[in-house]
Amino acid sequence: MIYGDKKTGILVQGATGKQGEFHIGLMNTYAREVGGRGVIAGVTPGKGGQEVHGVPVYNTVKEAMREHDVTASVIFVPAGAAADSIIEEANAGIETIVAITEHIPVHDTMKAIAYAQVHGSVVIGPNCPGLLTPGEVKMGIMPSGLFSRGSVGVISRSGTLTYEVVDELTRAGIGQSTVVGIGGDPVIGQTFMDVLERFEKDPQTKAVVLIGEVGGNLEEEGAKSTDLPIVAYIAGKSAPPDKRMGHAGAIVEGGEGDARSKIARLKKNGVPVASRPSEIPEMVRALFRTC
Amino acid sequence: MKLREYEAKKVLKEFGIPVPAGFLIKSADELAPHLNDLGENIVLKAQVDVGGRGKAGGILMAHRGTAIQAAKDLFAKKIKDLPVREILAEQRLEIQHEYYLSITIDRSTKQPLILFADNGGVEIETTAQDRPDAIRKAVVMPLMRDIPPFMLRELLGSAPMEIGQIINKLYRAFCDKDAMLAEINPLVTTSQGVFAADAKFIVDDNALARQGIRVNRDLTDREREAEKHGFSYVELSGSIGVIGNGAGLTMATLDLIEFYGGKAANFLDVGGGAESERVMHAVRLIASVPSVKVIVVNLLGGITKCDEVAKGIISAGISQKVIVRLAGTNEAEGRKLLSEKGYEMLSTMDLVVKKAVEVTA
Repeated sequence: MIYGDKKTGILVQGATGKQGEFHIGLMNTYAREVGGRGVIAGVTPGKGGQEVHGVPVYNTVKEAMREHDVTASVIFVPAGAAADSIIEEANAGIETIVAITEHIPVHDTMKAIAYAQVHGSVVIGPNCPGLLTPGEVKMGIMPSGLFSRGSVGVISRSGTLTYEVVDELTRAGIGQSTVVGIGGDPVIGQTFMDVLERFEKDPQTKAVVLIGEVGGNLEEEGAKSTDLPIVAYIAGKSAPPDKRMGHAGAIVEGGEGDARSKIARLKKNGVPVASRPSEIPEMVRALFRTC
Repeated sequence: MKLREYEAKKVLKEFGIPVPAGFLIKSADELAPHLNDLGENIVLKAQVDVGGRGKAGGILMAHRGTAIQAAKDLFAKKIKDLPVREILAEQRLEIQHEYYLSITIDRSTKQPLILFADNGGVEIETTAQDRPDAIRKAVVMPLMRDIPPFMLRELLGSAPMEIGQIINKLYRAFCDKDAMLAEINPLVTTSQGVFAADAKFIVDDNALARQGIRVNRDLTDREREAEKHGFSYVELSGSIGVIGNGAGLTMATLDLIEFYGGKAANFLDVGGGAESERVMHAVRLIASVPSVKVIVVNLLGGITKCDEVAKGIISAGISQKVIVRLAGTNEAEGRKLLSEKGYEMLSTMDLVVKKAVEVTA
C-alpha cells in the first residue's frame, strides 16, 4: 500500500453533487469487486441525514468522523470552496486528501497545502484523477477496467494520458502496483519526488513510469531523487511559449519548463525518455531485462 | 492574464508603492493638459500586450516641448504588428540606482518566491548568468500575512531599508490580487525616494472572476469562444486540426503529429464528460480555421461517452475529413454511429495521427 488499501475507509466531500454521487457509485463498485471498504461517509453542508448509494451524508467532516473510521478523503467540491474542504479535512485529522477539483485559484491551493502540511496531512492534487492500487483501492475517478495488478508504479500530471499509458501497459501484460495522478496545476500537494519516495518503500513496486508535461521542473527533480528504475514521457514538445495547454500548470514561462530541455535533463541523468506513449511498454520491459 | 503597465502601476499605487507621476492617453491631444504635472523630462510608453516593447521602439524619451509630437509619432507606429492605442506618459525620474524585485510562485516549495537583485533594469536571467551573487531569494509561508523582518533584511543586503517596506507591500498585492507574477524592474532610488519605474503583473486565470476581470485579454477571439463552450483551445499554425479529451492526451496527440512529420493547427481539449453539443461546437470551431485540411479526434472515454462524441462529430456536418479514434465508455455504440455515416476510424492514436499526416502531405 502506498496511500491506502482494502482497509482504508474513505470520505467524500461534495457527496450529493452530480460528480460526487456518480463517483461514490463507481468507487464502491470497485470496493465490492476487490473486497475493500470503499466510501463509508459523505459530507455536504446542509445535506446531513441524506444517503448517496447507501452512504450516509453528514454536514461536517468532524461529524462524519465521530461515526466512522475514516483516514482518506476525495474532494468533488466546486473550485470556490475546495480549498476550504482541504483545510477542514486536515483540521479533522484526515491523513490522505485527494482533491479532484479543477480551477482552484492557486493562492487558495498554496494556503490549503501549507495548512495541511502543518497538520500532517498529505494532499494529492488538486486538478487530478486521484489514485488506484489495482486489487486494493480506488480513490478518485480513474476507469478501473483498464488496470491490472503488477509491479510498475505510474505517476502522472495528467488524467486521460495516464489511462492511455495504463491501457498500453495492461495490453502488453505489464501490471501496475499503484497509479497516482498528481494533478495538472502549478501548485500540487504530492509531487513526483513525494510519490517516488512512497514507491521506494513499497515492496511491490519494481519500476516507475513517470508521465510529465511542460511547465516547472518537478519531473527532473523527482527522477534525480530516486534509485528506482524509471521510464519517462514528457508531453508538450509542440507547446508554444506562454500558452496554457489545458492544464493551469502546463505552460512554458520565461523560457523555462519546455519539453525539450526537460527531456534533455532527464536523459542526462540516465533516465530513458519515450518519444511517444506507445513506446513505453517496450521500454519498461527493457528496464526489467537490465535490472 | 497579463495586466498592462498602467494597470499594474495602479495596483502598486493602491498598495502604497510609489510610482512616477503618469497619465494614460488615447490620443496625442490628451497629453497637453498634463504637461505641467509631468515636468521637463517625459517618457512615453506604448501600452501594447507584447514583450520586448522597448527594443521594438515602443518607448520614446521626450521633453515638455517635444512630447506632443513624440506622442503623435508613437501613436502612428506599430509595435510588433500591434497598433498603439494607449500611451502611458510619465515623468522621467533622475535615477540614482536600479534594483530588481519580483514575486512568483515556486512549484518546488509550493510557496511565493521573492527575488531581489542589486542590479535592476536588465532581465533577471541575464543577472543570474553575469552576477549570480547579486540575487537574493526567499520563500514565504503562504499562511503569513507579512514577510518576517529578518527575511526582509536577508533580501536587502546593503540596499536601503525603506525598500523592505516596498517588498512587503508588493507581497500583499501579490496575495490579495491573486498574482502569478508581480515584478518591479527596475525599482529605482532617486533624491525623492524609491519608485517602481516599470511593473509587470500576471493575474491567475482561475481567479479572474473574483478579481472583477470579465474578459481574458490573453486569449484570441476563437480561444475565448472555446472558453465559453467549456473547452480549452490554443491556436497553432499547421493544417491538422486536433480534438482530444484531457490536456495530457491532447498534448501527446500534437507531439505525435510532429513525430510523424505533420503540423497541428490547434490544441483542443473538450474536457471531461463532454456531451454531443460541446463536441459539435469544438468540431465546428476547428473547421472554421481556413488552414485546417483534416481533423483528428483522439478520444479515450471515461466519464466522456464515445457515442456522445460520435453524435457531436456527425451533427457538426463539416466539409473537412475527420479521422477518429474512439476507445472506452460506449465505444461500440460510437463506432456504429460513425461507420453508418462513413467516417474513417482507426484503433490507436498512432494510426489516426499517421493517417492525418499522410492526408496533408
